[in-house]
Amino acid sequence: MSAVGTTGNGSGSTGAMPALGGAALLPRGRRGAELLMLAFAIGVVLFAYASVGLGLNGHVPTGLVTYGVLFAALMLGAHLAIRKLAPWADPLMLPLAALLNGLGLVMIYRLQESGRNGNPGSAISTMSASTTTFQLIWSAIGVIAFVAVLVVVREPRMLQRYTYTFGVIGLVLLALPALLPSSISEVPGTGAKIQVALGGFSIQPEEFAKLALAVFFAGYLVAKRDVLALAGRHVLGIALPRARDMGPVLIAWGASLLVLIFESDIGTSALFFGLFLIMLYIATQRTSWLLIGASLFVGGAYAASKLFAHVGVRFSIWLHPTLYTNVFCGNSSVHVPCVPSYQLAQGLYGLGFGGLLGTGLGHGQPYFTPLVQSDFIVTAFGEELGLTGLMALLLIYGLIVQRGMRAAIAVRDPFSKLLAGGLAFVIALQVFVIVGGVTQLIPLTGITTPFLSQGGSSLVASWMLIAVLMRISDTARRPAPQPIQDEGMTQVVRGI
Amino acid sequence: MNHALRRVSLACLVMFLLLLVNANYVQGFEAGKLANGPGNGRTFALQYQYQRGSIVTSDNVPIAASKHISGVYSFQRYYPAGATYAPVTGYDTPYTKTGIELAEDRLLAGTDPRLAVRNLIDLVTNKPRKGATVQLTFNSVAQQAAYQALKATGLPGGAVAIDPKTGGILALASYPSFNPNKLATLNGTALNKADQKYLNSPQQPLLNRAINETFPPGSTFKVVTSSAAFSSGKYNPDTRYYAPTNLKLPETTHQLINYDNSPCNDGSNPTGTGKVPLIFAFTVSCNTVFGGLGMHLGGAALRHQANAFGMNDPTLRIPMPVSASNYPPVSNPDYTAYSAIGQYSDTVTPLQEAMFAAAIANQGTLMRPYLVQKVIAPNLSTLVVTVPSELSHTVSPGVAAEVSRMMADVVAQPYGTAHSIVANLGGITVAGKTGTAQNGANNTGLDDAVFTGFAPVGNPQIAVGVVVKGGGLGADASAPVAVQIIKAYMSYLNSSKSK
Repeated sequence: MSAVGTTGNGSGSTGAMPALGGAALLPRGRRGAELLMLAFAIGVVLFAYASVGLGLNGHVPTGLVTYGVLFAALMLGAHLAIRKLAPWADPLMLPLAALLNGLGLVMIYRLQESGRNGNPGSAISTMSASTTTFQLIWSAIGVIAFVAVLVVVREPRMLQRYTYTFGVIGLVLLALPALLPSSISEVPGTGAKIQVALGGFSIQPEEFAKLALAVFFAGYLVAKRDVLALAGRHVLGIALPRARDMGPVLIAWGASLLVLIFESDIGTSALFFGLFLIMLYIATQRTSWLLIGASLFVGGAYAASKLFAHVGVRFSIWLHPTLYTNVFCGNSSVHVPCVPSYQLAQGLYGLGFGGLLGTGLGHGQPYFTPLVQSDFIVTAFGEELGLTGLMALLLIYGLIVQRGMRAAIAVRDPFSKLLAGGLAFVIALQVFVIVGGVTQLIPLTGITTPFLSQGGSSLVASWMLIAVLMRISDTARRPAPQPIQDEGMTQVVRGI
Repeated sequence: MNHALRRVSLACLVMFLLLLVNANYVQGFEAGKLANGPGNGRTFALQYQYQRGSIVTSDNVPIAASKHISGVYSFQRYYPAGATYAPVTGYDTPYTKTGIELAEDRLLAGTDPRLAVRNLIDLVTNKPRKGATVQLTFNSVAQQAAYQALKATGLPGGAVAIDPKTGGILALASYPSFNPNKLATLNGTALNKADQKYLNSPQQPLLNRAINETFPPGSTFKVVTSSAAFSSGKYNPDTRYYAPTNLKLPETTHQLINYDNSPCNDGSNPTGTGKVPLIFAFTVSCNTVFGGLGMHLGGAALRHQANAFGMNDPTLRIPMPVSASNYPPVSNPDYTAYSAIGQYSDTVTPLQEAMFAAAIANQGTLMRPYLVQKVIAPNLSTLVVTVPSELSHTVSPGVAAEVSRMMADVVAQPYGTAHSIVANLGGITVAGKTGTAQNGANNTGLDDAVFTGFAPVGNPQIAVGVVVKGGGLGADASAPVAVQIIKAYMSYLNSSKSK
């Protein structure tokens, strides 16, 4: 590596660069550390995969080598792309994402094999014998999308130029399922209109809308934050914003309520409104916006729970998930109205059954929980890997979020700051909503578990989200441009 | 904006902390409650994830076993011999268990503390948990014979065979029986259907008639009356006793008569006004003699002797609970007369009938009847062995020999009530007593056929008790069942000796 700053491969293995201008240690790319941790993550995944086979039927799965090589090649490909495209990016994110993606594949394989090929358990009717293969293909598409984002977005600020374009894209993606007929957009059996399904192939546009809207919010709020931060009247010591500035918040609130009503999707609604509020707060640093937003959301949700039966039921289920009447609707005394909590109850039973250490992969009975491979996949982990495994998963998510926040704090440009903060928060919120939902901390609203749940859209969108965060951290950690020559007042600065 | 970002970052941390704390609550504190929550199929299915131990006879014939199946449940219970052993094995449905399946459940399931170390080793070496094997005292040949012979009568009844020297139960059959395989199904609909069918059947196939239904013992109770008389020291088999054709009972207009209203005549008593030896009265089963003898001995003495034979004891377990055989306190002389010949309120289980014979066969010492010979851990080490123990001393060896002599005459003498079975015995000497018990309102029901006996007379190996409900004469219906069991068991003993 040359003494002057270049965009070279930035490998940490070459050690610290010579100190310049009295600066202490220069930041290092730490790609070697990333590779080491990635190898560890791949090792954990392969071990888990072998463990599933041993748990189910005492044999190492025959596909271990094929799947293992494919998965390792994918992740190594992503690593090489980072070396080339974002050499200064945070070294922790790829190994963490790879670990989650890999464990998700392992669990989906385990659930798919249940009751099939002579394995114990009953077959999960909502999965096919090729579900894992499809999920692996989706992982490949996800990694390709990850690389594509790094290739296209060379500088996070360039996204700011397309603020309103992303706004329109986001809204169209969000509204699309609501506008399409139910036959195309409704997830069978749930009543939620959140997908676009054509010819047996479906995507959930909201997953991508989340990314587009985050970019839009960041661009919009950076431009308007000075105005939005202006204080109006003081009430109870809190500076309220001016009434005329309330517009954007009300629009976001209205849009999230529309999603709630027309798509019957509480989780997504909460996710978008929460994302907007937090980005508004980060942009303006005004706590009043949080209070206003939170009260709007709680009020809206309360009204919705009274107005729409399917929202109200979620609250009743949350309060009494393991009531016999609710677990077995239709089979109970007539005195207690039944709220169908079978799925939540079975998820909780699975967690309880797993206990502290879990049954071991392949030894549990997660197939009792309906749709365990998507919204409830965390309960399958809790059952087979126990509290220990579930806490490990939560810590992995926590690390990703904190690394994202770290990038947001480190990066200088306000737009990137806001975008990184929003994206990191949205992961935390999504994990909180779904894991909190299935563990009875909050009312259950069905959204995907990033990287783990079966389904392509969420996986691809999650990889794209990680790509944006890594691009921002690359920008943040990239050493300042070095002067090419040391003399004179005018310096030629080599652009990066 | 960094200030706000730090606070949001902290908020995220709090969110994850909440999730972690909640996960600890759910999987740590609530885990047990949730695992046993209503409709948690996991806990339910768990009992079918491990191989339950087998139940085998003493000659190692499996009568209950678990086979591997695919699906939610890994193992399916099955009973190779179906109805034959059903009253003993019981059944193992997903909801209830009976018989040995219930009594030895924890050992069969492998959850017994005595298997804890074994389970820990299995956990470390990653071997699936396995239940222990329960070996019964049963002899498969005797049991087959008992069930087939009972079934051949076509009437409800029970038969029990005991090794008199140990108390080990060699056979225990009840008819009509049921097919436990139909109740071991893991298909809820099929199980419910079979369950309803058996429960609603007027034939009560689920009732274990050998130990849980009582019948009037009829004349077989004369074994007890004789024992009480000889134990008093005032009588022996050759004591001549008043033998009227009709015995007038005090304080009532009732008269006790002999079967078929015949006189009790050994050649010296043609008019029914003289005396006959007790051994003759026993051999031809004169009611008037034993009714009079019973009145003379008194209800208290009879009850004392009956208790010594194991009657009036509701606590007996083999290990399944056995219904008490009853000899209630009697004060009226007329009722005492009836009770002395096994009528009035006397009731016995077929097991009790076998215990009468077993006590006499074992020189008066009644061994505690038991079914479980030993329990064998999956690693073939023996966990439990039943050591035979005495239940009670019924009579002295001398009295036992006297009663035994009378019982031998019942079969051996041409005028004995059970002489008809000799032709089928193939040279085996049998001592026994028949009973033909009247029952129903005003004795309008069909007579129950009862038999108690043991063989061979000189060196008793097997004691048998049989009751066939509505079978008529004990010699006609019950004694042949006993003969089948005795012959099957003796030929088994001979063949295993020659091996």
